[in-house]
Amino acid sequence: MDLIFLSPLLFLLGTATILWPKSLEMAAHYVGMMFAAVGSAVLLYKSGLYLISAGVLESADGWLVTGRWGSYSLNADLWSAPFLVITGLAGFIISLYGMDYAKGYRGNGLRALTGQWNLFLLSMVMVLLAGDAFTFILAWEVMALVSFLLVNHESSKKETVSAAYQYMIMTHLGTAAILVAFYILGSGVGSFSFTAFCNNKLPADVKHIVFCFAFAGFALKSGLMPLHVWLPNAHPAAPSHVSALMSGVMLKVAVYGFGRFVFQFIGIDTLWQGGLVMTVGLISAFLGVLYANMEKDMKRILAYSSVENMGIIFTGFGCGMILKHLGLEALSLVAFTAVLVHAFTHSLMKCLLFMSAGCVMHATGSKNIEIMGGLAKKMPWTAFFTLIGSMSLASLPFTGGLVGEWLTLQSLYTLAVNGGDEIRLLVVFGLILMGLTGALALGCFVRLFGVVFLGRCRSKTIDKAHEQPFFMVLALGIEAALIIAVGIFPSPLVAAMEGIFTGGNAVVPMATDFALLWSGTGNFYNQLSAYCPIIFAVIGLALFGLCYLSIMGNTLVRSEVTWNCGTYPTARQQYSATGFSKPLRRAFDFILKPRREKVYLEKEHDYFGRIMRFNLFVPDRFTDRLYHPIEHFMVRISSTLLMIQQGSVRLYIAYTMIAMVAVLLWGVM
Amino acid sequence: MDFVLTSVGTNLLQGLLLLILAPLFGGIINKVKARMQKRQGASVFQEYFDLWKWWRKPSILTPYTGKVFVLAPIIYFVTAFMAAMMVPGLMKTGFSYGDAFIFVYIMALGRFFLTLSSMDAATAFGGMGGSREIYISVLVEPAVMLAILINSLRYGSTTLANMVIDYNSFYFTVPAVLTAFAFFLVIVAENGRLPVDNPDTNLELTMIEECMTLEYSGRLLTFIHLGTMLKLLVFLVLFGSLYLPIDIPVLVKALMGAVLIGVVETLNNKMRLFKVRIFLSAAVLLLAVAVIAQ
Repeated sequence: MDLIFLSPLLFLLGTATILWPKSLEMAAHYVGMMFAAVGSAVLLYKSGLYLISAGVLESADGWLVTGRWGSYSLNADLWSAPFLVITGLAGFIISLYGMDYAKGYRGNGLRALTGQWNLFLLSMVMVLLAGDAFTFILAWEVMALVSFLLVNHESSKKETVSAAYQYMIMTHLGTAAILVAFYILGSGVGSFSFTAFCNNKLPADVKHIVFCFAFAGFALKSGLMPLHVWLPNAHPAAPSHVSALMSGVMLKVAVYGFGRFVFQFIGIDTLWQGGLVMTVGLISAFLGVLYANMEKDMKRILAYSSVENMGIIFTGFGCGMILKHLGLEALSLVAFTAVLVHAFTHSLMKCLLFMSAGCVMHATGSKNIEIMGGLAKKMPWTAFFTLIGSMSLASLPFTGGLVGEWLTLQSLYTLAVNGGDEIRLLVVFGLILMGLTGALALGCFVRLFGVVFLGRCRSKTIDKAHEQPFFMVLALGIEAALIIAVGIFPSPLVAAMEGIFTGGNAVVPMATDFALLWSGTGNFYNQLSAYCPIIFAVIGLALFGLCYLSIMGNTLVRSEVTWNCGTYPTARQQYSATGFSKPLRRAFDFILKPRREKVYLEKEHDYFGRIMRFNLFVPDRFTDRLYHPIEHFMVRISSTLLMIQQGSVRLYIAYTMIAMVAVLLWGVM
Repeated sequence: MDFVLTSVGTNLLQGLLLLILAPLFGGIINKVKARMQKRQGASVFQEYFDLWKWWRKPSILTPYTGKVFVLAPIIYFVTAFMAAMMVPGLMKTGFSYGDAFIFVYIMALGRFFLTLSSMDAATAFGGMGGSREIYISVLVEPAVMLAILINSLRYGSTTLANMVIDYNSFYFTVPAVLTAFAFFLVIVAENGRLPVDNPDTNLELTMIEECMTLEYSGRLLTFIHLGTMLKLLVFLVLFGSLYLPIDIPVLVKALMGAVLIGVVETLNNKMRLFKVRIFLSAAVLLLAVAVIAQ
């Protein structure tokens, strides 16, 4: 038995801690989290080695895992490997974090939480290892149900329950679409194993229908607009380590499924496929980050930022599909590598930020950023690591976030060079939206970090905030270190991801490698540029040190309260998060349609003696314009059906009688 | 390795040259404005004296601020300096690390920290400046992306050094003129000049860059002002070497740009903040037309 099977086994053992007696609750929690961490570490080790060796390390036929038990089979090739690495890495770090974080749920279903945590990891690993449609759908469904249970963990809160059920309904719509896709493929090919699906000879029209269903299903799971509505509700409702795993890993599992379909089952034979994926990706990226700028709930901000980043990933994917369709394999390689690199770095930074949101919630007991401020002085390490994560999400230099973003921009640009007029138009549209997205992401994380960690405390309730337990801060630190490492030395990561397409047992073999891109010695095909972050980092650090010395030597520093026209400034005079995004709300009001509501609680006179309440809503327009009408339509249909569904037994007997008479009459005729 | 060292060395020299020239360009803009307004105006070297004055003064820190407040001006200055090292067209080097997108994101790093510092001071003024800076930067960014696209489409690379106007080919075309005009609008918005932002005051009506940095003094303020002036010069040099299709030395073109800014600043009023949206949409539209016409 291969070492990698140890990992699912450990997750299973971890799941079993749910059965431990209540008196051993804490022990069960620690042991369960330990199983999760060790299982993830094993997974990371094995799949990481496999990925780095580009699939030649393992058995001669190039599978990482292969096996068959009755109608269930496992087959993991190089396309699974990066996602297994993402799962293993995130699972390991967040399990460490969860060990301390989840202690807060003691006496409140802690065993269930830990058990489901292991099951969730197991199901995601199984989706990635699945070798046929049955196994895939089974694991996919377990993943959906367990994540529903995890989201619904704090089920005493009303909004949690509604978010969880919304998630459940939405995710099953996605599963239905994927089922249909598998069914069409399976009935056409005559088998449900993935190897049979590859290189199938189905007609192009059928393949296009399969593509549409698969895209709908996986786009829903990865939270692309307009199928994202569950995401900003489910992430804040779940405990923080669960949100981190959902955002950091589960969304990427959807990318895995989509890639499996596109690369192996369907192929890319028309332009519109890539165009559709890219357009949806671009719109998600832009609108996602625009809504992220409007939110006040820390985890909702992060959830919308996930929509944005999944949008960037799918933009790269669509770009690669178009390039591949145009026959430019080497350039599409850049785009697909961008997809995987960004999936990896987004997993790092989103896990970091969700975990840091958990730290802040622990310390302050709230998710509302409007009441926070000045936390950097109370929790310096959390603040420092969050700053790195925020920089990375704003895709600034020296962080991992820029690597994938830059590759995506490069591939967009090569698309403009090589495509025809219609493609160039698409790229113009794409670059405008990517530019907006980049700048809005910067604004979003300046706002998040600035309001939460800088300035002064905005309310008394958070005065007692303090630094978090060791394991929580350690987990943040590991993620931050990885982000910086990837940002300054991207070549190993990019080479590994590129190896998926160029390596010995590549799933989608492509012609060339682009190692030159990172060495900085030349231009790749005279079309791409080079980026060598280590040189920038060395120069930047040297200059920074020089300038810092000039301040260190400066003894002319005084401390004085800010001049506030003769009074002492209060914390309430700081800019609020809502105020900070006001110009953006105004500039994009034609998209956002903010609703304002003024209520006079007391009004003696027009100009004085007024007590007012002001409410501002920036509703998600897709919920308003798309989902509410559907919901109303469904309710109307149902209430119309109510006319014949009165619930009275006599009526149903009458229906049966009428039906019988009708059948008899029909027989006579 | 030798190649890397020599090219980095040359670029350090270029950065230093621009750093030394930057206050002079600021002084020239002020002089042009003064003369246009029928005033004598301060000497063109006045900015150097001001910087020296701030350098010798004590920095006053409010007790609410943290490390970000102290580090932000340095990071801002360093990013401006690195941008100055990257601009092409001044010195003929083989330094090809200067990717245009990276140039944009290095600038963004400086902006990120400057806006954060504005929130660290815990005042209403700072936050307002930061909020508006983000607003302007969001509107500028698409135009910058398209400006990069158009030159890289023409010369086949997003490396800044390869995007320099090539006078051997036919360079004075309609798209080139449109781009040059649009990029000038970008310079105005990105560097907080009139009619987008008034660099001379920090009154309520303008309240962008000067308000973000209101709480700074002493050496920290020196870094910010030097960074801002350097950033303006970097953009002017970029304007000259990438976009202005006239065959004269780059520094002369940068000087022309500076004079143009002085003239535009005299002839225009500060625009209402939410009109900037239209101002920059014009730039985006011009660039989009230029890309299609390319």
